Amino acid sequence: MLRVKAGDVDRMGLLFERYHRKLFGFLYHMLGQAEASEDLVQTVFYRMLKYRHTFTGDGEFRTWMYHLARNVLADHVKKNRHSVRHSDVADYAEKIGGGVGADEQLQREQEVATLHSALAKLSAENREVLVLSRFQELKYEEIARVMNTTEGAVKVRVHRAMNELKTIYLRIEN
Amino acid sequence: MNCDHIKEQLTEYLNHQLPDAERFALEAHVAKCPGCQEELESMQQMWQTLGSVPVPEPSENLRPEFYAMLASYKETMPTALATPLGGFFGWLQSLMLPQSAVRLAYGLSLLAVGLVGGYWLNNKKTAATPEQQQLATLTTQVEQMRQVMLLSLIKNPSASERLRAVSYTKEISGPNDRVIEALLSTLNHDDNVNVRLATLEALAELADEPKVRMGLVQSLPQQESPLVQSALADVMVQLQEKRSVQPLRRLLKQPDLNQTVKDKIKESIKTLSTGQPAAPSTSNDYDETFLSPQPDRSAGAIV
Repeated sequence: MLRVKAGDVDRMGLLFERYHRKLFGFLYHMLGQAEASEDLVQTVFYRMLKYRHTFTGDGEFRTWMYHLARNVLADHVKKNRHSVRHSDVADYAEKIGGGVGADEQLQREQEVATLHSALAKLSAENREVLVLSRFQELKYEEIARVMNTTEGAVKVRVHRAMNELKTIYLRIEN
Repeated sequence: MNCDHIKEQLTEYLNHQLPDAERFALEAHVAKCPGCQEELESMQQMWQTLGSVPVPEPSENLRPEFYAMLASYKETMPTALATPLGGFFGWLQSLMLPQSAVRLAYGLSLLAVGLVGGYWLNNKKTAATPEQQQLATLTTQVEQMRQVMLLSLIKNPSASERLRAVSYTKEISGPNDRVIEALLSTLNHDDNVNVRLATLEALAELADEPKVRMGLVQSLPQQESPLVQSALADVMVQLQEKRSVQPLRRLLKQPDLNQTVKDKIKESIKTLSTGQPAAPSTSNDYDETFLSPQPDRSAGAIV
């Protein structure tokens, strides 16, 4: 990224190849809409180019990336406050939920689907830390930097998020 | 180490974020405590299930769209300036100028632009603007129209129209030859005495023109009206036109010359010969001069 900052914009292609899946995954979990998430991936990479001078280089690139992604996400949510969220997930859960859970494989799939919708029902800030730590595999320290908070606060929030997820999961299952 | 504390650490443990020492302690506790073990298992299952929550692949469009965006961004970015530009922005940011200072600078620069713009526009106006050029053209055109009107009116059968034509000469700044000729011709040939007197008055003001002077001198023998003769003699004295002495003398020899006019002309010749300026006798005095029992009183007063 430092080379991108120095004007070697072509290097951005390399960063795209390396990170766009992860970024998409994060945005997808946060939004629940594949198409909108793709648009936002594009926006995040555009902002990386535009604000490349703000990349200081002392943090890791992906911390910076998620930091930008959070801002883009916040803008998007503000703009589309009235649109229905997590429509894709709902469809998915419905489809799977319709099946009979006799088969073990199918039961497993249903579990995943239930957890997926439970995740979608999680409050945004709890979902965010969970996604960042479970899916993006960020260390607490990195999450803290992404969210401009302390490591301790992240620790507490992840713990709370897991508990909330469990509660929602059990509620859906019963 | 109590169970609540262990439960709080479970997520961290699953997340592989727990430091080694605490991890061993937790594992040791869970091995002995069935409650915590159950909790750990349910959490672990959820954590693992969470890991298999599918994330759809981004569509095929994402990659080409990204590269298109990158290419178009590169176009908008001047490549040569890329490095200093980044540095410049960084430098600007590092300055951390207070917002108010930036606003003030912006305001001042706007003001400066306004002043310069205003000054420039103003200057442009004082130079030859199209309006002023137009005005000048119009003025010339009006004068030309007056001349044309004068030339046509002067041939009008009505004496008052001809008088009006003559009066136009005052409004024409530099009458051309045609106008002067028309006026001289009117002075010599017009039937109406008043028109001829008016024309004489108009021509007297144009006497700076040699052509007019010459015309006036040549006009002397042609005049028959005592009024005009007398007025012409006055004009000659006023202009100190020595060339008029000869024609005036010749005029004196005319047998049927009015006595008053004769005296007047004699006086004029005398004045012109001695080179002394005569008292100006304005056109208003013509009638008086003619009707007065002492027609040369003004000249006599000086002599």
